[in-house]
Amino acid sequence: MKSAASRYGFINAKLRARIGRMMDDHVVNDMIRSGSLVEAVQVLRDTQYAPVAEAYDRTGDIQALELVLLQGEIAMYEEVAGYLDGKPAEFVRVLLEKIEIDNLKNAIRLWYSNIVRHHSISYRGAYIFRERIVHAIDWAMILNAVQWDEVLKAVSGTPYLPVLERYTFDSIVEDGLFEMETSLDKLWYEHLQRQAKSLSRRDRAAVEKVYGIDIDLKNVLMLVRFGWYHRLSSERLRQLLIPGGTIYGSKDIESFLSMEPPERNPSLLLKRRYADLAKATDEIAVQQNTLSDSTDAKVLERKNEIIAAQTLRIEQYLGKMRKKQYLKILSGYPFTLGVVLAYFFLYKRMDQMIRAAISGKYYGWSEERIREVMV
Amino acid sequence: MNLFTRPMKLLTAVVLEGSTDAVVKSLLELGALDFVKIDQLPPEQMAKLTTRSSSIGRASMEDMRHRVEAVLRQGDTVLPAVESLDVSQLAPLDMDGYRKLLDSLSATLQQLKDRQKDSNQKLLGIEEMERYIKEGKLQYIDLRVGTFNHGEPKDVQDRLLPIGGIVLEGTGKDPTVVLALRRDVAKVNPLLDKFGWTESSDAEAQKAGLSRATSRLESDRGAVTEERDALQHQVVDMISKKRSELIGIWCNLRLHELCDQIQSYFSYTKNTTLFSGWVPSDLADEVEEAIRSASGGQCVIEWTDAGSMPREQVPVAVSSPRLLRPFQKMVDNYSTPEYGTINPTPFVAVAYLCMFALMFADAGQGFVLLLIGVFGTLLYKKNPLRKEGMLTANLCNLLIYLGCASIIGGMLFGSYFGHPWFPALWFNYHEVVEGGSSGSIRSVYDILGITIKFGIAVIGLGLVLNWINLFRKRQWFTLFLDKNGIVGGWLFGVGVWAGFAFVASGYKSLPSSPFLKWAVEIPVVLLLGKGFLGYYLERKRGSDAKSIGTVVMDSVMEWLVDLLEIFSGFLANTLSFMRVAGLGIAHVSLMVAFADMAALTSGVFSVLILIVGNALVIALEGLSAGIQSLRLNYYEFFTKYFTGRGIAYEPVGLRSDSGK
Repeated sequence: MKSAASRYGFINAKLRARIGRMMDDHVVNDMIRSGSLVEAVQVLRDTQYAPVAEAYDRTGDIQALELVLLQGEIAMYEEVAGYLDGKPAEFVRVLLEKIEIDNLKNAIRLWYSNIVRHHSISYRGAYIFRERIVHAIDWAMILNAVQWDEVLKAVSGTPYLPVLERYTFDSIVEDGLFEMETSLDKLWYEHLQRQAKSLSRRDRAAVEKVYGIDIDLKNVLMLVRFGWYHRLSSERLRQLLIPGGTIYGSKDIESFLSMEPPERNPSLLLKRRYADLAKATDEIAVQQNTLSDSTDAKVLERKNEIIAAQTLRIEQYLGKMRKKQYLKILSGYPFTLGVVLAYFFLYKRMDQMIRAAISGKYYGWSEERIREVMV
Repeated sequence: MNLFTRPMKLLTAVVLEGSTDAVVKSLLELGALDFVKIDQLPPEQMAKLTTRSSSIGRASMEDMRHRVEAVLRQGDTVLPAVESLDVSQLAPLDMDGYRKLLDSLSATLQQLKDRQKDSNQKLLGIEEMERYIKEGKLQYIDLRVGTFNHGEPKDVQDRLLPIGGIVLEGTGKDPTVVLALRRDVAKVNPLLDKFGWTESSDAEAQKAGLSRATSRLESDRGAVTEERDALQHQVVDMISKKRSELIGIWCNLRLHELCDQIQSYFSYTKNTTLFSGWVPSDLADEVEEAIRSASGGQCVIEWTDAGSMPREQVPVAVSSPRLLRPFQKMVDNYSTPEYGTINPTPFVAVAYLCMFALMFADAGQGFVLLLIGVFGTLLYKKNPLRKEGMLTANLCNLLIYLGCASIIGGMLFGSYFGHPWFPALWFNYHEVVEGGSSGSIRSVYDILGITIKFGIAVIGLGLVLNWINLFRKRQWFTLFLDKNGIVGGWLFGVGVWAGFAFVASGYKSLPSSPFLKWAVEIPVVLLLGKGFLGYYLERKRGSDAKSIGTVVMDSVMEWLVDLLEIFSGFLANTLSFMRVAGLGIAHVSLMVAFADMAALTSGVFSVLILIVGNALVIALEGLSAGIQSLRLNYYEFFTKYFTGRGIAYEPVGLRSDSGK
C-alpha cells in the first residue's frame, strides 16, 4: 500500500505552490473598486483568469464568462483527481459530482421554465456545461425534452435516475422543483459520507471536520428558510434535512420541529455548538417574532429582508469557519486529503469572489454591498 | 564597477516652501534620493515641524489610474514606461474631469458590450440549431415546410424571434420553411395555426427545406458573428480615438503619485520645507546642483557621511556592469549585502560559470544554449511587452553566458554534441569516464579530485572575502574567532592539508608531524575562550551581568556547536562540490548512452535518436547544472561571507536604478 507521503507528497507541493499564487486579494479589490463592469473585467487580464476577460471581450456576455469559470473549475478538479489514485481520487470525483448535480439542476430549471412555465429559453441552454463531468448525462436531451420521461431517459444509468423517478410531471407542475433539488443535494451528501468512510483515518477526519459543519449550517439554513419563512410542517422539514453533522438527529432539532412555525428560533439549534452564531441570529430572530402572519406586502417584504439577513449571516459564518478550518489544515500535517480540500476551497472562494464582483458591477451595487455578499 | 557597495551620503536639505514643487520635480527627474523620514531631531524641534497630506489622496489617484489602465487595456493599448514620463508635462489634476470622461466612456463601452451580448446570444441560438443538424439530432429540430394561408411570413418571423426560430419565405416553386426547436412546439403550433399554416406533403420539398434552412443558418451565423466582432472593433476604435487623451491623463496621474510619494517624506515649518535621504556619493554633486538650481540657490544642504551612521541604517547600492545583470539578479534574489562590504556579483558570475562549465561541458550543446539565449534576448528586445513564459528575458540573457561557458568547457574536455570532433585542450572527459584515458587524468576519481580542489578554492575565496568584510567593518573579535574567521579558516586549511596527506598515503594515515596536533589543538582552545572573551567584551560595553554558571554553560555550548560546524560543516561543504563531478559524469554517461542507442540503428533513426538525445540532455542536464550551480553558490559560497543583512537602496524617481 502507498504511504501517505508518497501519495500526497507531489500533490501537496504542487497545490501549495498554487495556493501561494492565488492568495493575492488585490485583484478582487481592484475589481470592486473599478468604475464599471467593463473596467472590472479588465483587471483579470494579467491574471490566471485571463481567459475570463478574453471571453468578455469577445462576447460582452457575463453568462459566457461564468461558463468559462465553470469550465476552469471542472478542469481543475479533473487535474487534481488525475494526480491522485485509489480512494482519494474517487473521493475527488465525488466532489466533482456536486458540480454535476448543480449543472443538472440548472438544466432541469431551464426545462421547467420552458415546458412548465412556457418561458422561452432560447440561447440560455448554451450556458449549460454540456461535456461529461462524471456520469454520462445527455444534456441536449434534457434541454430539448418535451416530456418528463425524456428527462428521465437523459439521466438513465446515473445515480440521479432513482431520485428523479420519484417525481412525475404532474407533481413537478404542482410543487415545483424545490424538493427534487433538495433530494439531489441529499443524494450527494450521502454519497460523500459513504465515500469518506473508505478513506484513511486521517483523511476521513479532515473530511468529516469540514463537511460536518457544512451539513450543520445547511440544515440550519433549511430550517430557518422553510421552517419559519415558508412554515412547512415538521414532517416535510424532516424529509428535507441532510443526514450527518452534529445537529441532525439531536434533541435540539426535535424541540425546534415541535415549536409552532412563528416561534421557531434558529439560535436553539446553534447555541450548543455555534454559540457566537446563535447570538447573531438571535438578534434577527427577535425581529422576526414581531411580525404577524399577515400576507400584507409590507410584512412580506420585511420577512424577505429578515430571511436574507439570516441566510447571509449564516453563510458568512460558514465561510469564516471553513476558512479557519482550511488554514488549520494547511498549517498541520501535510500528507492528507485536507490539503487538496483546502485548495478546492480557496480556488472556489476566489471564483466566487470574482463572480460576486462581476455580478455586483453588472447590477451597479456599491463597494460595501459587493463585499457583503462575498461570503 | 566598484568591488564594494557604493559609498553613500545622507542629504538633509531645507528649501523655501515656495520652491518645494520645483525641487520635487527636479528630484523626481533625477531619481537618486532614497528618502528617509525626518524623525530624529530633538523633540522641541520636531514639534515645530508639520506634515501635509495632499489634497487628493494617493489612493484616489491610484484608483483613477487603474480605471484609465482598464479602459486602455480594452483598446489593446500599451502603457508608457515610467522612464518615459516627462516632469515638465506635469499639469494640475482635474479629478472631476477625468471621472466624467471615464464615466462617459464606460457608459458608451457598456452600451456596445450590451449590444455585443445580444449578438452573442443570437449566435448561441443559431449555433445550437446548426449543431443539432450537423450531429444528426434532428429529433430536436422542428422543421415545417408549407404555406401560410393568411398573414405575412415577416410577422411570423418577428414572433418567432424570441425563441430563435426562422422563417424562409417561399419563392416560386419553393414553399415556405419554418425552423424552430421542437422544445418550443407549444409556442410554434398556435402561432402557425393563427397564420393558417398548411404543411406540404411533398417529401422532396421537405428535404430541400432542411438544406435551405441549413444554408440560412450558416449565412445568419456569418452575419451575426461579423456583427459581434464589429462591435468589438468599435470598442477598440473608440478607445483608440481617446488614446492620447487617456495616456496623457495616465502620465499626469502617475507623475502626481510619484510627487506625492516624495512629498510624503517632507516636513514643513512655517516657511520652509525639510527633507532628507540617502544618495550614492558619486551622485551627491548632481543632486546638490539639482536642488540648488530648482530652489534658485535659496536652500541649505548638509551632507552626513555614512560612516558616522549605524551601518544597518544605510541603504545599499551596488554598481555592477550591465554585462553582469543576470548574476546581479541571483544576488538580489538571495538578499542585500551589508553596507560597505564586498559586492558579491562578480564573484558569483565567475563561480557560477565555472561550475556550469564543469557540469555541462559540451561545445555543441553550449552553442545551442547560446543560440537560444541570443534569439530569446532579441525577441524580448524587439517586443519588450511580450508575456514572459518559462524562458524569461533574464534567463535568455543568462543562457548567453552559460552557452559560452559550456563551449569553453566542451573545448577543454573535447566534447561536441557528445563526440570528440576536436582534440581536448585539457583532457577527454568521455575517455576518462569510459576508462580509456592515458593522460594525467585517468579515472573518475581524478575528476572528483579536481572538483574537490575547485570546491576548496571557492570556500577559501569565500573565507577571504569574509575576512575582508569583517576587517572593513572593524569586527576584530569575529574576524579572529568566528567559525568563518581566521581561526575557522586556519582549521579548514589544516583539514585540507591533512586530507591531501591522507589521500597521498593511499587512505592509510594522517600526517605524523607534531605540527598537526598543535595546528588543531591551539585553535580549538582559542575557540573555547571565544565565549568568555565575548562575555567580557559585552560587559565592557555595558550589557547585563550573567551568573558564572550561565557564562560557562553558554561558552561550552557555543564551543561545541562551533567545533561541530567547523569540522563537519567544512567537510560537508567541500564534499558537496563532488556534485560538480557527478553531474559532469552523468552528462557524459547520458551522451554515451544515446550514442550507443544510435549505433544500434542506422540512417534517419540514428540521426533522430542523436537529435532527441541531445535535446533531452540540453533540457534536463542544462536545468540540473543551472540549479546545482545556484545551490553551490547560495549554500556553500554565500554562507561564508554574505550576511544579507543590508537594506536595499530604493530611490524614488522616473529613472531610478539602484543597480547602475
